[in-house]
Order: sequence, then C-alpha cells, then structure tokens
Amino acid sequence: MLKLMKYEFRKTLVTKLILLGITAAVEIGYLISLYTEAKTALTVCIVLLTLLAVGGVMMMGLGSVLTLHRDMNTKQSYMLFMTPNSCHRILGAKVLENGLSILTAGAFYFALGALDITLLFWRSNAINEIWDFVQQFIHSMNDQIRLDTAGFAAFIFSLLAGWIMTVTLAYLADVVSAALLNGKKHNGLLSFALFLVLSWLIGWLTGMTTAGIADYNLKLVVRGAVNLVLAGIMYEITAQIMERKLSV
Amino acid sequence: MQFDPMSPIWLQVMTALKTDIAVGKRLPGEKLPGGRDLALAFSINPNTAARVYQELEKEGLCETRRGMGTYVTGDADRIAAVRWEMARQAAERFLSTMDTLGVSRQEAARLILKEDV
Amino acid sequence: MLESKSVTKMFGTLAAVDHISLSLEKGHVYAMLGPNGSGKTTWMKMAAGLIKPTSGQILFQGQPVNIESRKHIAYMSTEPYFYSWMTVKDVGKYYADFFDDFSYDSYLDLLRQMELTEEMKTSTLSSGMMAKLKIAVTIARDAQVYMLDEPFNGIDLLARDEMRRCILQYATEEKLLLVSSHLVEEMEAVADRAVFIQKGKLVENVDLEEMRTEMGVSMADRYRQIYGHTEE
Repeated sequence: MLKLMKYEFRKTLVTKLILLGITAAVEIGYLISLYTEAKTALTVCIVLLTLLAVGGVMMMGLGSVLTLHRDMNTKQSYMLFMTPNSCHRILGAKVLENGLSILTAGAFYFALGALDITLLFWRSNAINEIWDFVQQFIHSMNDQIRLDTAGFAAFIFSLLAGWIMTVTLAYLADVVSAALLNGKKHNGLLSFALFLVLSWLIGWLTGMTTAGIADYNLKLVVRGAVNLVLAGIMYEITAQIMERKLSV
Repeated sequence: MQFDPMSPIWLQVMTALKTDIAVGKRLPGEKLPGGRDLALAFSINPNTAARVYQELEKEGLCETRRGMGTYVTGDADRIAAVRWEMARQAAERFLSTMDTLGVSRQEAARLILKEDV
Repeated sequence: MLESKSVTKMFGTLAAVDHISLSLEKGHVYAMLGPNGSGKTTWMKMAAGLIKPTSGQILFQGQPVNIESRKHIAYMSTEPYFYSWMTVKDVGKYYADFFDDFSYDSYLDLLRQMELTEEMKTSTLSSGMMAKLKIAVTIARDAQVYMLDEPFNGIDLLARDEMRRCILQYATEEKLLLVSSHLVEEMEAVADRAVFIQKGKLVENVDLEEMRTEMGVSMADRYRQIYGHTEE
C-alpha cells in the first residue's frame, strides 16, 4: 500500500511543486512588502496567498481526479492494473494519498497564514484596528462564528473534509463513467449528473445530521467527520465497482 | 542458419549436425551442446532442439549419458555408414532431377566427372 | 496451465473475442497469430486480468485469473505504458516494487544486452529502444507465463535476432510463452505451436513441426491459407 501511495505521490508531485514554488514566490513578495511597508503590494500578496491556499487545495483534489482518469483511460492504466494489487488497494492508495496531501496542504497554509498574520501584527499596530473591525463585521453577519484559532481550525477542518468527500465522489463518478457507462451515449453527461445528484444528497444528509447541534464549532467538526465517513462509503462503493466491472 | 520453413526444422538441424559428424567436424565421443544451447545456437525452439537429439539417438549417432549430456557416438563404423547413406541419398536426389530433365545416366556421369558434354 | 473457457468479450455490439476455448500448456512457445483486430490483444489483456470477459472465463492453474495470477503472469502490451516521468531506472524500480519475481540484476544484464542505460528517459526513447525496454523489464521477471504482444514491432532486423534469443533464453520446460506477432516469419523457428485467431474466433492450435511434416507447409503458408482470401 505504501508503495502504491509513493507512486500516487510521484504522479501528483509536479502539481505540488509548482504550487509550492508559486506560494514561496508570493510569500517572499509578502515579506518584502511587509518590510518596506508597501501597502498596495502587501494587499495584493495577502489576496494572492488566500487565493493560493484555497485554489491550491482545490487543484490538488482536481489533479488527483485527473490522475485517476488517466490511470483508467490511457495506456498507462496497464502500469497500475497489471500489478498484483486489488482495486481496493489501488483506489485506497489514491484516496489516502490525496486525503493526506489535502490535509497537509491545509495545515501548511494554515500555519503559513498564522505566521503571516503574526508578523503583520508585530509589524504594524494599525492592523489591529482593522482586524477588530473585520471581526465585528463577521459577527454582525453571523453571531455564531468566532474568529479565534479553534473556530478557524474547525472551519478549515470541515472545509477540507468536505473537499475530500467531494473528490472521492468525483472518483466514484469517474469510475462509473469508465467502468459502467464506457462506450455509451452521453457518458460524460450522465456521470456528471450522478456527481451533482450525489453531491446534493450528501449536502442534505450532512445538513440533517448536524441540524440539532447548537455549538457552531462542534457543528463544523461533526460535519467534517460525517463527510469523512461518507468519503469512506464512497470509496468502498467505487472500489467494488472497479473490482467487478472495470476493464482498462 | 536459414531454414526452409516448409519442412520440419528438427530435420534440418539434424541434417546439419549429421553432416558435421559424418565429415569429422564433430569427433566420435565429443560432447555436443546441451539442448538449450543448441536451441540458442540455432535460434530454434528448445522442444525442437530436444527432438533433434532424440532423432540422432534413434539413428545411433549420439548417446545421452544421464546427467552428463549428449555425446557423439564412438562407433566409427556407424558414422561411416551414415556418411555413406547421406551420400547415397544425395545421389538419388541428383538422379531424380536428371530423370526429370531427361538426362541419361551416361550424360549424368559425364557431368559428375566434369567432362564436357 | 492457462485455459480459456468459451471466453467472449463484446465491445458494444462487436465481439472482439468470440467464444474462444483454448488450453495452453507449459514448456511451449506459442505463436498467437491473426491480422490486426482479430482479438489477440483483447484475449491477452483478459488473461492478464486487465479486461474482464463479457462471458466465459480464463483459468490460470485451475483458478480464474485474478490479483494472485498477476504475480505469475508477465504481460507486455504492444503500446508503451510507462509513466512519462520515468527513466529506464525508474521503470526497473517500479517493477521491483510490485513484482516479487523481478530481478534487478537480470534487468541490468538485459539492458546491457540491448544497449540501454539506466539514465535514459522513457519519454525520449525511439520506438525500437522502447520495444527493447518493454521486453527487458518484462522478462526480467521470473514468471511462469510470459505474454508478449507484438514484441517485434518497431525494431530492426538485428534487434529482432536479439529479441528471439531473449525469448528462447527464457523458454524452459517450466514456463509458458505466448507471443503474438503479425511478423509471422520471425516466430517460425522460435515457436513450437501456433494459435490462429480470426475475427475473434479460434481457428486452430497446432503443433508446427507436425504441421510441416504432415501438410508440408510453413507457419507463414498456413497463415496465408487461413487469412489470405479474407482480410489483409
């Protein structure tokens, strides 16, 4: 399993390195503009870093769906499926590698964000006032959201777990397309429709299960956990379909 | 070696080996390559190579000693007989061609002796 | 050793493989012959466990082919299938990672024979070098069955001789080799049996020397007899 994960990591390495490279470049820009107090540049860098954190995590998930797609639909599929590994292991390696990568990236950007914000406060006191204003603003929108570290961590966790679930769901849709609808009319459209319907269903389900929870942070954590469990179920269904029906 | 793919390959390899033995390229009692080596040397299937030795053995031209390999027979008379038999077969083939061409035996003999016809 | 029981594979309404029943025994080199699109590749992929039959099954030592049989059946596809980022060394390491019967030493040996080096990038290999790499990495496995799909494609005359030697080196009594090729002459002396396939159906599975003795025809002649008046 570790060997399979190693190669899954290798397949997605280029995407990750590019992301890391861009992030490093923008971070250096951020530090320089912070030091020289170039306000416009600083704002641009903050916006870019935020976009990178969100977009990067999304890209990693999308990249892994693309890799699965290539692993089933191109000649390189033989490379993977001729090895004596069950589809459970092959897909499992993908789900785990992708999940860990997304969580690691999340933790990385979270740490980087925390560091950058700390530096920002340390550099300029004026920021504090803006921060207070932002917090008040968000509070006025939804008085349950707390902009403290725990709340933020819970929020990030729930977001990442949701994304992992979505990626797993995309795996399922892609496998259905490759294994069950292969060669049929409107194959792509049908599997995309399946993805949308299941997304909606799962959204509704997670909403239901967490409806009764009053504490907002707890609600987020439970929602994240439910999403991870659902990702597990999606994985099992997908692997079963692959095991029985997939021809590469 | 180029084979004629229309006739059995074991027969062609066997003939090549027989010729070697008959003319003394391979001496009586000499060890012959193992089946696998023979297969590689002639680029033929190992089963075909095994067949070659089976047939050579049937003709009494070689013998397999358990665990030691295959050897050219030490029986010089047998080798001489095989050589003569091969020559006789070649002559027969020649004569049959001459018959087809309507060449008389006398004319054929003069051809063999390289006298001008 | 490898048994095909009424195996059929449909692609849409087209039967790529149509009720093929066939028994292949160890100790033989089989030439699998037929024009392009006759179903050779599809059958091999099913035996490799890459494609699932629509009906029927392929047994390896009495068991339907599965994850376990992949440990003992080495399959080489016609098309290059390595990941684009791989070097020749990466390819060997990949096989070493996943196949217990893979010997990196044999691999190095074969690379030397084929004049390939570990540093070469698979993405820049010529078709001839790619063909050699594929065969090197496949037969560096000590498998029980080798299925080589068109190993002579894209390589020159000298390399074909080398390829034949390689195939013969690994053809022992314990192993089963199945080699497909539309370059029929290349397999004439190497194979001892031929499996002719036409339009997804098995025509015959014959002993070649017997055929030469009894019918006085070569494998290539037989090929022409079978396919000459239909396709190609």
